[in-house]
Amino acid sequence: MGRRRGLQRVARVVLIAVILVWSTFPIYWALNTSFTTLSGAQSVPAHFVPSPFTAHNYRTLLNTSAGGVGNQFWRSFLNSTIESGLATVLTVAIALFAAYAFARLEFRGKRVILVVVLATLLLPVYATLIPLYRIMSNVHLVNTYLGIVLVYTSGFLPLAIWIMYNYFASVPRELEEAAFVDGATPVIALWRVMIPVSLPGIAATAIIVFLMGWAQFIFPLVLSSDLTTQPVTVIVAALNGQRIVPFTLLNAIGVLAAALPAVIALVLNRYIVQGVMAGSIK
Amino acid sequence: MSGESVSTGRKRPRRSGRFLPYILLSPLVLFIGALALYPTIVTTVQAFFTVNPLDPPTRFAGLANFRALWHNPFVRESAANTVLYIIVGVGLSTLFGLGMALVLQRRSHWRGVILALIVLPWALPAVVEAVIWGWIYDPTFGVLNSVLKSLGIINGYHVWIGIGRVVSIVLIELVQVWQITPLAALLILAALQSIPQELYEAARVDGAGRWEMFRRITLPLVRPGLAVAMVESLILSLNVFDQVYVLNGFAPGGASIMLQTYQISFNNLNFGQGYALSLLATFATMLLSLLILAVVYRRVEF
Repeated sequence: MGRRRGLQRVARVVLIAVILVWSTFPIYWALNTSFTTLSGAQSVPAHFVPSPFTAHNYRTLLNTSAGGVGNQFWRSFLNSTIESGLATVLTVAIALFAAYAFARLEFRGKRVILVVVLATLLLPVYATLIPLYRIMSNVHLVNTYLGIVLVYTSGFLPLAIWIMYNYFASVPRELEEAAFVDGATPVIALWRVMIPVSLPGIAATAIIVFLMGWAQFIFPLVLSSDLTTQPVTVIVAALNGQRIVPFTLLNAIGVLAAALPAVIALVLNRYIVQGVMAGSIK
Repeated sequence: MSGESVSTGRKRPRRSGRFLPYILLSPLVLFIGALALYPTIVTTVQAFFTVNPLDPPTRFAGLANFRALWHNPFVRESAANTVLYIIVGVGLSTLFGLGMALVLQRRSHWRGVILALIVLPWALPAVVEAVIWGWIYDPTFGVLNSVLKSLGIINGYHVWIGIGRVVSIVLIELVQVWQITPLAALLILAALQSIPQELYEAARVDGAGRWEMFRRITLPLVRPGLAVAMVESLILSLNVFDQVYVLNGFAPGGASIMLQTYQISFNNLNFGQGYALSLLATFATMLLSLLILAVVYRRVEF
């Protein structure tokens, strides 16, 4: 029995190691490539630590003279930050009020509206891509921050509603009853009681929405035509397609483009896991 | 006195809430209505119209768009490709996700750290991941070639993507599997954790082995989680675009339906056909989702 236990323990550790290597090796490989020279990266067989080690690729990106790769990258980085950030703020603000209404207020048509909103969760990109481009083109919002933020927000709202609705529904009603006894209106109860109690759920929603915004590709590919609004994903794909930028530099760009979501995912992991698991099974 | 104030307190949200709920909901309804439902209706209706800025005006076309798609060999090929993307995507992400969830089921000191690292691929942009994997698959300097050759599995360096259709699709989809498996793992893990421990204890008393417990308790009771994870993977792999665009471009050997839709609509500006293909893909998404739910989902009560 004791030997079997030991064997199971070893098997478990090996399995965890395999899972960790699978999950992190490609990221390590990008780091490894980004910190070496082109000839270092092109050695056969491959070097598993950067040799020779150099930060040259990152220094190249610090040169932001107009038209250069560094300029393109940092401008698109700024665009990604603005677009994902604004979409997150707008989505969370709208979802807060709507999820509260769904979770706590009684009104005619509630079920129908909730079901229709959640049904749009199942709409694939196909259903809306072309019309959204044509709508934005008609109202002259192609290649503007506003157009992109509006499209992102409409796409992220259903998921945000779903996570927050579940969170609000799990908050005991007694907490607000006390506020109502003191004569609070529902909006005040939302502000003074619900929001403070639900901060973890709101954080989870905001983080997941921001990560979704940062990862967007096909919509900005269609809606952005130049560097005034193109996010980092579009620039990375374009530089990759041109085959001019050396692979070591391209990996450095990839590492920086992934750095913000990676840090968010590592530091705020607790909220993401909660958010996904909370909205998962009902 | 206190009883009175409690009762008015209970009524208050309902009374002041005659218009309030609608005010709170109006931004949501506006967004979903104008930028999700209306576009869906446009897609559905205009699939039956000729919509092409190079060939105005927009006019009714009956089933002409669908007929043109049917006779387009690239569309047929991309449909076949997408079936393969779905099989690989749903199959592998569910299998890997279940494996990860089972390993992580036991609470331990390190679980938080391990979870954080596992979730990482899900949090990063697919485009960046595809670029990174493209370098791993590189025919002349890629680490995949290097490792396989060192292990003696291959004799010389291979071109992985763009030669064999099946190999290309499997390797491209593997990049998406890498990204979406964490989501499947979390969804399945949530289902696993909702299974009461007493069931396992009772089974152990009855002398059941590990495998038997897995087959008789875990597998049936994890079905809701599996179903949700599989539907998620289905929708994502049916929509696969970023990885294909970066790793294979518009080469027909790996083109997905989404890529074909993009090309028809935004390169050829044949929006009518783009709508028609989108409509078919939307129907396929719904039908396959329902199929998975019907086969895999079971209501579980404890």
